[in-house]
Amino acid sequence: MARQAMVMALLVVVLAAGCCAPAGAAAYLSKLPVTLEVTASPTSGEVLHGGEDEITVTWSLNATAGDDKEYKKVKVSLCYAPVSQKEREWRKTHDDLKKDKTCQFKVTEQAYAGAGNVTYRVALDIPTATYYVRAYALDASGTQVAYGQTATNYSFNVVSITGVTTSIKVAAGVFSAFSIASLAFFFFIEKRKKNN
Amino acid sequence: MERQSKPAAMEVEPASKPKFRIPVDSDNQATEFWIFSFARPHMSAFHLSWFSFFCCFVSTFAAPPLLPLIRDTLGLTAKDIGNAGIASVSGAVFARLAMGTACDLAGPRLASAAIILLTTPAVYCSAIINTPTSFLLVRFFTGFSLASFVSTQFWMSSMFSPPKVGLANGVAGGWGNLGGGAVQLLMPLVFAAVKKMGSTPFTAWRIAFFIPGVMQTFSAIAVLAFGQDMPDGNYRKLHKTGDMHKDSFANVLRHAVSNYRAWILALTYGYCFGVELAVDNIVAQYFYDRFDVNLHTAGLIAASFGMANIVSRPGGGLMSDWLSNHFGMRGRLWGLWVVQTIGGVLCVVLGVVDYSFAASVAVMMLFSFFVQAACGLTFGIVPFVSRRSLGLISGMTGGGGNVGAVLTQVIFFRGSKYKTETGIVYMGLMIIACTLPLTLIYFPQWGGMFTGPKPGATAEEYYSLEWTEQERDKGYNASAARFAENSVREGGPKSASGSQSRHTVPVDGSPADV
Repeated sequence: MARQAMVMALLVVVLAAGCCAPAGAAAYLSKLPVTLEVTASPTSGEVLHGGEDEITVTWSLNATAGDDKEYKKVKVSLCYAPVSQKEREWRKTHDDLKKDKTCQFKVTEQAYAGAGNVTYRVALDIPTATYYVRAYALDASGTQVAYGQTATNYSFNVVSITGVTTSIKVAAGVFSAFSIASLAFFFFIEKRKKNN
Repeated sequence: MERQSKPAAMEVEPASKPKFRIPVDSDNQATEFWIFSFARPHMSAFHLSWFSFFCCFVSTFAAPPLLPLIRDTLGLTAKDIGNAGIASVSGAVFARLAMGTACDLAGPRLASAAIILLTTPAVYCSAIINTPTSFLLVRFFTGFSLASFVSTQFWMSSMFSPPKVGLANGVAGGWGNLGGGAVQLLMPLVFAAVKKMGSTPFTAWRIAFFIPGVMQTFSAIAVLAFGQDMPDGNYRKLHKTGDMHKDSFANVLRHAVSNYRAWILALTYGYCFGVELAVDNIVAQYFYDRFDVNLHTAGLIAASFGMANIVSRPGGGLMSDWLSNHFGMRGRLWGLWVVQTIGGVLCVVLGVVDYSFAASVAVMMLFSFFVQAACGLTFGIVPFVSRRSLGLISGMTGGGGNVGAVLTQVIFFRGSKYKTETGIVYMGLMIIACTLPLTLIYFPQWGGMFTGPKPGATAEEYYSLEWTEQERDKGYNASAARFAENSVREGGPKSASGSQSRHTVPVDGSPADV
């Protein structure tokens, strides 16, 4: 019977379920040393426009940091400031960096050379929000081993495009009008037939 | 009309009666359900109604799969998203009531096409919104189109005979609901295609909304061009020839609100269909957050939940008809109570199971089957509650479904009062509790869950009580009387064996031009 087959399928699925526990080194932000100094070119509170304005990010190893033999790559990201994370679970900060959603936009990922900088034009898909910049030092396996970020109260704003083009506005208007007109047309025909 | 030589010696009324390819009963309602046929007017009505309803579901739930982009474009907060989700299903509460009445008074063809075409501007305008408020408004107005559910059920209940009405309602409703699942796959695909053609993400999702909009517009035009209200013709024609009496809103309203069975079914439907809508809105997020799957997988799971409708709701309708065949209306009632209660139990289990992702998915699929089958079983009963106010009662039940969706989301899934899994457990308990009132439904001629029928009570009497003496004299209740004859089987196997065959009027067996 169909019901028995369903129970069987359920059992098989449940038994097969024991297998997939994701493995891999987990990095926790609270355990990472802050060894990089990071600065960004926009002034605090400046408004940048997506697709137009550029920012320059500079990073260097902190004088008191110790050795950086492990650092193979540096990854610089734009991170949501707390005000943009409020009431938005999908931007929440997690200590476990695998689950962390704070820094979703990569500015650059390049080989580590002690100090460096990058000039980045704000991409068109960066949402309107408030950001700061963070740089992670990655080891050979790509796991974060250290980081640094811009000053505590520093942030800048990005205003993105709306995505609405003139042709979309026109199309919306035309299609809406067509729908209403079709309805009116058929009602008109109904009325005519009724009066015949 | 052309004369055709009949092979068998089955001669009945004069040849002014229309001929149908599909076998029909004395009320010209189809006694068979040919799912892959387009035979007019019965099967074509089926395909037109389920597909246009499908398009409405696609439009109403087009936003959730694209939310990750929309929320960033518009800067939405979790509260904005929750409110918009509630708005998307609350508009239909009153729209369904209005639709039920409109069907009773103007016919399902005009009523459904009207609401579908009038809501398409909301879908097109979803492409040009820019604020959280406008997002809420477009979801609210787009959601009105879900009122077309009522017209599908009304239309199927008008076109199909009692022994097949459960199945017809179930498939039409189920394949329409499918839209809520299919869209979770469709919109990401359209979005990806548009992006590939060169648009930026924040433009691509806007363009994607034109697909549901265009589907909706053209499906409604097809309904207007090719649909027909009743087997014998459209309302306009039937009213003119006097075959059908043009009823008044006051009468239709009075007979709907005074029938307690309508209220009970409205409540219980809120806890199968309402729950289904609430889950449509929260399940992707639930799996994403609790099991850390990626958004794509979460969307796929959400889609599967909705896609189960392709068999589960029709299965419920089929089960209802099967139970009626063996146990009459009492079987239909018991079937609904058992299936919906099991759905509630599975809901509780879903909220509790957290040790394994695969187990959760399995429980969710089982839960979806039972909860959607319960929807199908409900509309195996609704056509029998009233004939005069069939539309409005279908509308009340349908509206009740949306009220359930709103209530469930407001109580359990809004803000951070309950964790999602706790909300799901409580939702399951509420399903079990709110299904109990089914035990109170009683038809004098067919019985209820715990009591048998009153001896001597007949279906004719039950339906004719909806009309006054004078109205009956004028023959206003003619169609209801025919329906009563054809629903003899609802009395159970004993009463069915004493009746004539299902085809109470012999039909022309050869294919006819319709």
